[in-house]
Amino acid sequence: MRQSSFLCIATVGTLTATLTIIALFALVIINLQALTGRWSEDVQVRAYLEKPVRNAQADQLRKRLGSIDGVDEVEFVSREKAYSRMRQRLENADLLDGLSPEVLPVSFDISLASELRSREGVLELLPRIKAVLPNADLRYGQQWLERFESFVQMIYAAATVLGGFLLFATLFIVSNTIRLTLYARKDELEIMALVGATPFFIKAPFLLEGAAQGALGGGLSLGTVYLLYQAFFREGLGSLLFSIGGYEIHFLPASHQLAILGAGVLLGLFGSLSSLRKFVKIG
Amino acid sequence: MNTEAMIRLYDISKHYRSDSAALANIDLRIDKGEFVYLTGASGAGKSTLLKLLFCAERPDKGQILIKGRNITRLKSREVPYLRRTIGVVFQDYKLMNSRTIFENVAFPLEVQGKRRIEVGKKVYQALKEVGLEERMSRYPLELSGGEQQRIAIARALVVGPDILLADEPTGNLDINVTLEIMELFKKANARGTTVVLATHSQEMIQRFPRRVLTLEGGALVRDESC
Ligand SMILES: Nc1ncnc2c1ncn2[C@@H]1O[C@H](COP(=O)(O)OP(=O)(O)O)[C@@H](O)[C@H]1O
Ligand SMILES: [Mg+2]
Repeated sequence: MRQSSFLCIATVGTLTATLTIIALFALVIINLQALTGRWSEDVQVRAYLEKPVRNAQADQLRKRLGSIDGVDEVEFVSREKAYSRMRQRLENADLLDGLSPEVLPVSFDISLASELRSREGVLELLPRIKAVLPNADLRYGQQWLERFESFVQMIYAAATVLGGFLLFATLFIVSNTIRLTLYARKDELEIMALVGATPFFIKAPFLLEGAAQGALGGGLSLGTVYLLYQAFFREGLGSLLFSIGGYEIHFLPASHQLAILGAGVLLGLFGSLSSLRKFVKIG
Repeated sequence: MNTEAMIRLYDISKHYRSDSAALANIDLRIDKGEFVYLTGASGAGKSTLLKLLFCAERPDKGQILIKGRNITRLKSREVPYLRRTIGVVFQDYKLMNSRTIFENVAFPLEVQGKRRIEVGKKVYQALKEVGLEERMSRYPLELSGGEQQRIAIARALVVGPDILLADEPTGNLDINVTLEIMELFKKANARGTTVVLATHSQEMIQRFPRRVLTLEGGALVRDESC
């Protein structure tokens, strides 16, 4: 039940190309998502108070904030502390010479329990903090991360659409190359049906071949992407990401590798199946 | 004589196009063990009638019974099992040219999932019947037309079918070869296989007279027993 080697190469090649592109999308997106996840773990809520409070009152508020479900630690930042922090942060501290601590607001730095350290977690927590500090100005300093996340989501959506389109195109191409194979063997298929072969008996070898080609295409695409990952991603994108986020790029996880292989097998199977339906007709 | 119907057609009609009938209102009974010629001009409906018998085409009207079983509305997954009881031979042999003679004849048995030893024995036996057991490792295109048709007959008979259908099996062969092929059909019939042979060769019918069904424009116009 051998296909001509040209058609076989065409099928496997098409599958490999498509799955390589899809696996590359997945690699980039997975790393971007992991990166945003990492960044959002640094999230912290800072509550700027409208007017200064006395130490005793601050202590009381701190305790109330600390007892909120989902809050890990609360630190009171007095004017003096805010001033010295600012000094530390600015290299050219002279700029602050004319400034007195009086102009700085007091605040609470609220760090989140680990399970809430994400944008959704913050949004869940904000109303509870507001209940304690109704007039405070709540900042969680990650509006840019939101924008970055929606950018990643946009890439994800675009990749999904493009990937879906590619899968369809591939299914079409694979099913047509397999149709050429079947066409070349249509006499044989007719004879099989004539002597009482069941459709399954006729189709099984072709389906098996399609699935094997799909698995091969999936494997080759993973190999290709791994080489690209080693050659370019770790050097270029990887070092860039590491320098901004302390984030180390990683390869597709096992589940995604399996999904790529599975997609190859399914494409091969359905590609064969759709043309077999047209060629193997019994009665 | 106490005979049993092998094939029964009740009021069978078949149209490929709405304006002309390939077969019209055919009623027919062929008994077990009979040898029947199906004759008529080209386009009379001979092939169509044979195709209805192994479900390659379906009738528009009427009922077909084979061994008492109505095959008119056989589900397509049941068709393979019907075909395992019917051997079919064509003018153009329909052999698989990329497979050896042995593989060609073994194929119907393989399809039925028969065990390897059994397959080997039966194939050898069937090839011996047609006198070509020495050619089993050759390929069809290395053989003459008459030899290829003998291989096709061996393939049809290897499963021990109830019915042997032949659609102008000697249409491409000269008279000497035709007579050799006829001997094979006679032999199969003598062993109890019901044979339906479509031909427009009057010579064949004269040399080996049997019941003759004549079709004309899709109608059964004569049924002459001898
Ligand atoms: N597959 C088909 N599609 C359309 N018309 C067909 C088909 N097969 C046969 N016919 C028509 O049906 C009639 C009977 O054909 P056929 O059974 O092949 O006759 P025969 O075998 O006696 O020459 C003819 O008119 C033929 O043109
Ligand atoms: Mg014909």
